[in-house]
Amino acid sequence: MTRRELLALAAAAPLAAQDVYDLLLKGAHVIDPKNRRNGIMDIAIGGGKIRKIGSAIPAAHSRRVVELGGFYVTPGLIDISGNFGSSGGVNPDHNSLRAGVTTVVDSVSVNAGSLAAFQRDVAAHAKTRVLAYWNGPNPPAARGKQTDIVIDVPAPRSFADAKGGELREGEILTHIYGPTPLPASARRKGVTLDVGHGASSFYFRTAVPAIRAGLLPDTISTAMDRKSLLLPRANMTNVLSKFLAMGLTLDQVIERSTVNAARAIRRPDLGSLEEGAPADIAALELRTGEFGLLDSGHAKLTANKELRCILTVRNGAVAWDSEGLSLTHWRDAGPYSNFK
Amino acid sequence: MRLALLLACAAAAFAQPRYDIVIQRGHVMDPANKIDGVMDVAIANGKVARVAASIPAAEARKVIDAQGLYVTPGLIDLHAHVYGYSGSILPDDSALPAGTTTIVDAGGAGWRTFDDMLERVIRPSRTRVYSLLNIVGHGMVGQTFEDNVEDMDPAKTAAKIAERRASIVGIKVAHFGGYGWVALDRAIEAGNLSKTPVMVDDKIFTISGRTSKEKLLTKLRPGDLHTHVFNDRQLEVVDRFTGKLQPYVQQARERGVLFDLGHGGGSFLWPVASQALKQGFFPDTISTDLHSSSIMMAESDMPNCISKMLNLGMPLYEAILRSTVNPAKAIHHFPEHGTLSEGSVADVAVFALRKGVFAYKDAWSHKALGNQKLECVLTIRNGEEVFDRDGRGFPEWTKAGKYEVIP
Repeated sequence: MTRRELLALAAAAPLAAQDVYDLLLKGAHVIDPKNRRNGIMDIAIGGGKIRKIGSAIPAAHSRRVVELGGFYVTPGLIDISGNFGSSGGVNPDHNSLRAGVTTVVDSVSVNAGSLAAFQRDVAAHAKTRVLAYWNGPNPPAARGKQTDIVIDVPAPRSFADAKGGELREGEILTHIYGPTPLPASARRKGVTLDVGHGASSFYFRTAVPAIRAGLLPDTISTAMDRKSLLLPRANMTNVLSKFLAMGLTLDQVIERSTVNAARAIRRPDLGSLEEGAPADIAALELRTGEFGLLDSGHAKLTANKELRCILTVRNGAVAWDSEGLSLTHWRDAGPYSNFK
Repeated sequence: MRLALLLACAAAAFAQPRYDIVIQRGHVMDPANKIDGVMDVAIANGKVARVAASIPAAEARKVIDAQGLYVTPGLIDLHAHVYGYSGSILPDDSALPAGTTTIVDAGGAGWRTFDDMLERVIRPSRTRVYSLLNIVGHGMVGQTFEDNVEDMDPAKTAAKIAERRASIVGIKVAHFGGYGWVALDRAIEAGNLSKTPVMVDDKIFTISGRTSKEKLLTKLRPGDLHTHVFNDRQLEVVDRFTGKLQPYVQQARERGVLFDLGHGGGSFLWPVASQALKQGFFPDTISTDLHSSSIMMAESDMPNCISKMLNLGMPLYEAILRSTVNPAKAIHHFPEHGTLSEGSVADVAVFALRKGVFAYKDAWSHKALGNQKLECVLTIRNGEEVFDRDGRGFPEWTKAGKYEVIP
């Protein structure tokens, strides 16, 4: 082989090389409604992005392998309403990432006076992708301004907030299972029907008959605040569990917390598993047993299934791992040193 | 006439249950009163009204069945971060679902900033929040501040403690990167002036001019606390090479120096903790050092810290003692807090002890596997149910009528 041939071979080698992955999620039941994926698959992640989704990706190609047999894997969930503001809100990482949510949209905190503080104190600290609706006149988009945070969708309104006025196409009607049933006139073509659970907007006595009558939500959101996180503990997996208990299928609740949510906030780049896109992924366990799920009035629905998040990947990094599936046992970790 | 009055009283008593909440059939662990068995607990007007073998359901507005669960005083987390530090957490959404009803902020505020903490964190929180005041006047706001000896004023620190005695329980000295003992000496001087304990969170380098032995045997006073007990960069509890418990640790304990867990994001290491517990060394107090990083991967809330101790061989009763009575004593609030004594403020936690295989992670994201896990299922603060994971204290919606909020 001549020197020239050797050089040519060396130059060509990277093109032919197999990707080395950082993280391989193996053997989970993948539910990705947008792409109609529903079955046992592997997901390979590298450089913060999803590199490959397929069957039997070799474990040998990844630095870290997480066996997820028996668990469900979904796109990182999207919670389209909640109070995450710097005064009075809750911490998105502590309350959302741990429930499989990788994108939250603040619905009450951001306006011209508070945007800078929100950016500095909340969004910049969070591993969760933090977006926000604009609460006030002259949204940035109307002034031709782009921000990383403010989305170009009006903040969700309840039927009462709309004061009898009609919501326009593209708007989000929230709190649809409040203390009193939603009038039939509230439903409009092109308007997203959203749960927005919160401390005072989700009642089984409204939701159970409504769902039986066919009034399903388009999107499932928590509208979490400091109050609703204690009683009734309405984080994302808790709210999804309620809809499972009321008869929706797992596919239906995942669809409403991923692709539908992305569509409602006009971020079609989110809410699905795409090769080449940032790796935001949730791994969920469907536990069986006896579980008490509380509504906003603190009445209980006793359920025999509960959804729990066991692992969250955000931007390709494991951000939550309740079972330690991605971690090494300390006795196998070699000598501990000051340097990580 | 007298009979009629008696009947009227009895009728009134019947119509008006005398207790707000009765927790029935739980295994009560109340180390202060040496209770360790199945008992009922009654709560009225925000106070523990009675702990007895059997309290009739008819005497309570609300009955909570705790069969198969443990009922303990609300836990006291002696070391957490809820103010000042950029990684601070919100007390209520982190503490109350963990069964923690009292949280001690370890040095977030100094004498210059404490009043702001009082206004913004202590008063609005449902969790009871105390402060260990930082010897640094500006509090825990970064290394340059924490190294600044000029801002460590014992007199002003002691004066602020005297002014805010209801909320400040001691002094914190932390992260001093300079040479020698000046930061600790000033904290102890403030401790002497205010008659409060000092909690030490140290850095030890070869150039620091400080050693664990000198610190524990000559500097700290009886009742002072060393936190981060299983971080061998702060305190070499076990010899780094032989794994043997250091003799001076036992000597310090005999002098009355207290050792606090302070798990945190960098201070719980399996090799150190497992060696120490194997040799019978239990921390005096179990605490979380909860902040934004330790809450995620290490999950260092109180039930998890306790579970780690259980899986390293500490009996549950000992762990509850170290999460209730001992921290209350350390901050000079015993028997006011940390007990289920009749007449005390009703701060109560209910736990399930699950069996299975569970992963527990240390500060460097290495795991150990254990076969038991303590989980908080219900928390009562000041006589009010504030967290109820499984809705034990509430009726089925089909039987609830037209409810807004069910009390």
